[in-house]
This record gives sequence, structure tokens and C-alpha cells, in this order.
Amino acid sequence: METINKTLVTIGRSVGGVVGVLYQAGRDTIDMVIRNILPFMAFISVIVGIIKKTGVGDKLAHLIEPAAGSLPGLLLISVFCAIPVLSPLLGPGAVIAQIVGVLLGERIGAGNIQPQYALPALFAINPQVGCDFIPVGLALGEAEPETVEIGVPAVLFSRLVTGPLSVVIAYLASFGLYSS
Amino acid sequence: MSFSALTALVAAEPTVAPPSGFWGVLANWANAFIDTFKIGGENFVGLVTGIIPTLIVLLTAVNALIRWIGPDRIDRVGEMAARPGLQYYPVRYLVLPVLSVFILTNPMAYTMGRFLPERYKPAFYDSAVSYVHPITGIFPHANGGELFVYLGIAAGIQTLGLPLGDLALRYLLVGMVVIFIRGVLTEIITARMMARRSAGDAANAEAVA
Repeated sequence: METINKTLVTIGRSVGGVVGVLYQAGRDTIDMVIRNILPFMAFISVIVGIIKKTGVGDKLAHLIEPAAGSLPGLLLISVFCAIPVLSPLLGPGAVIAQIVGVLLGERIGAGNIQPQYALPALFAINPQVGCDFIPVGLALGEAEPETVEIGVPAVLFSRLVTGPLSVVIAYLASFGLYSS
Repeated sequence: MSFSALTALVAAEPTVAPPSGFWGVLANWANAFIDTFKIGGENFVGLVTGIIPTLIVLLTAVNALIRWIGPDRIDRVGEMAARPGLQYYPVRYLVLPVLSVFILTNPMAYTMGRFLPERYKPAFYDSAVSYVHPITGIFPHANGGELFVYLGIAAGIQTLGLPLGDLALRYLLVGMVVIFIRGVLTEIITARMMARRSAGDAANAEAVA
């Protein structure tokens, strides 16, 4: 009787634990969807509506299309995004990178840009990632103020090299991607 | 008015002249205005029905997994990453950033920098923050608020009817190579700048003395 009781308690406890964790995970997920994902989808939809109706999107896309469809063009975009003065301005919330991503995606879907450029493009539009957040990110890592003072320019200058370099690596890695 | 005239009036196709003149221009503007948001709304519904259901299930599974693993397990990796020596570079700028972004997600991943000495902190941040987008192709839980860098471009691939797995995987792997290079290079730059700073301080101290 004693052992049966013990087993039942153990089973009940572990099942309860599993269900509890899954339930909490679901709660976290819905929270994230409502707080972060849906608002951004709403924002993107407004932008898409405006650029599609006004035709601004086409003009913008024609502007970046020749650049996004070749390696030198992509390198140019990445250098531009990595310029130490611009990168912190382009960074916040990755909004710029996301809008450009949506624009490029539409061009790829329309067949104006070859699909194998998707991978290098993902890196070309994003050398500025986190450049707006360096002091906060370092503070989260409990860095001293002196480290922040040196860390900000160090990361910004490093991006000027690693931004274009990441495009080249991605370009080399995209051989055999979506090409017959 | 006779009955026949009335029926003729009803039978006649009602035609509406297109709006013209001043009010017509306004009416056209109104139409264009509403259309803008209709297109946006269709786009929104497409995103919600196309992406959200899979995303919710996937996020729930990964969030549960992370709860089972326990976020404090990676503390030991953090301590290991702080060691000097060539063999710890991959731990510091590859294993630690990838694990912290996967388990702690953006922006809490950067708190792992607390295990590292000051001279490695900027490089670790650079490395970790550069991974918050490459990871979203397969594990969107890590950075739910910034999915469209990948999703925007992926949407185009999907329109063409091509499979996304290949792109997502390559993005993930190339991301790892890039964050490692970024970490190493930023560490070198930081070291140079710190050396110059302390040399400057020493010179200043001498000048004062």
C-alpha cells in the first residue's frame, strides 16, 4: 500500500510538473505574441499598405534593386549601414533592417532579384545590428564605465570590417542555394 | 404619373455618374485612403494566419524546453569562457553567445557578459548581438520582436514556391561563423584601444609628476 501510494504521488507530481511547465510556456508565448509580434505585424502592415498604394515602394525598391542583386552592390549597402555615425541611427529595434527586408522580399518574390542573393542580402542589410544598444548591452553585462567608453567605438569600428566580410562569407556560402 | 411610366422608371438600370469636380477629387482621395488600409489589412491577415499559428506552437515548445533545462545551467559555460588561452576563443565567441541567445533570448543574453573580464565584454556583446537575427530563421523565440529581417526576405522565397529550410539553416550557420570573427576582431580592437588609453594615462601621470 505504502509503495503504491508513493508511486502515485511521484507520477502525479511529475505529470503536474510537465503540464505546469507547458502551461507556463504557453502563457509566455502568448504574452510575447501580443506584446512584441502582433504590434510589429500591425506596423509592417501599415507600411506595406502605404508603399503599395502610393507606389513609393516601387520607387524605393528600384533604387535598392540593382544594389541588392549583385555582390558589389550588397557590399556597398553593408558598408553604408556600418558607417560608425550611421549605424547607431539605423539600429533601433532593427526597424530599418526589417523594412528593407520586407521590401527586398517582395522584389525576390516578384522575380526581380535572384533568390540565391537572399542569404548575402540578410547580412548586407544588418551590419548595424545592436549598434544603438552597445552601452545598455554592456551595462547588462555589468561592465565598468571605462569599458563602455572604449567598447562603443571598438564595436562600431569592428563592424566596418566585419559587415562587408559577413556579406562575402554569406555570398560564398550561398553557392548551390536555390540554383539549378 | 401612370403605372406604366413608374415600372419603366424602376426597370431602367440605375446608373451612377463617377464623381467629378471638387467633390469627385475628394471622393477619389477618400477611396485611395481607405484602399491603403485595406491593402494593409489584407497583409496583416496574411501575416497572422500564415505565421502566428506555427509560431505559437513552436514558441511554446521551445519555451517549455528552456524551462526544463533551466537558464542557470549556462553559468558554467560563462565561467569557462572567461579563461585566457587560444582554446577558449570558440567557447567565448561561439558557444557562449549562441547558448545565451538561445536560452536567455534578446536582450537578457547580454547579461552573460558579467562572467567575463572587462577586456572581453565589448567583444562578447558584439558577438551575442550579431546572433539575434540569424537564429530567428529556425528558433524565432530568441527574438520575437525582430522577426522580419528574416521573415521579410523569406516571404519572397516563399512566394517563389521554394523551400525555406535551406535558407534558414545556412543563415544559422553563416551567422555562427560571422559572430566568431566579429568577437575575435572586436577583442583585438578593444585590447589596442585599452593599451593606448593606459599608455596615455601613464604619460599624463608622468607629466603631472
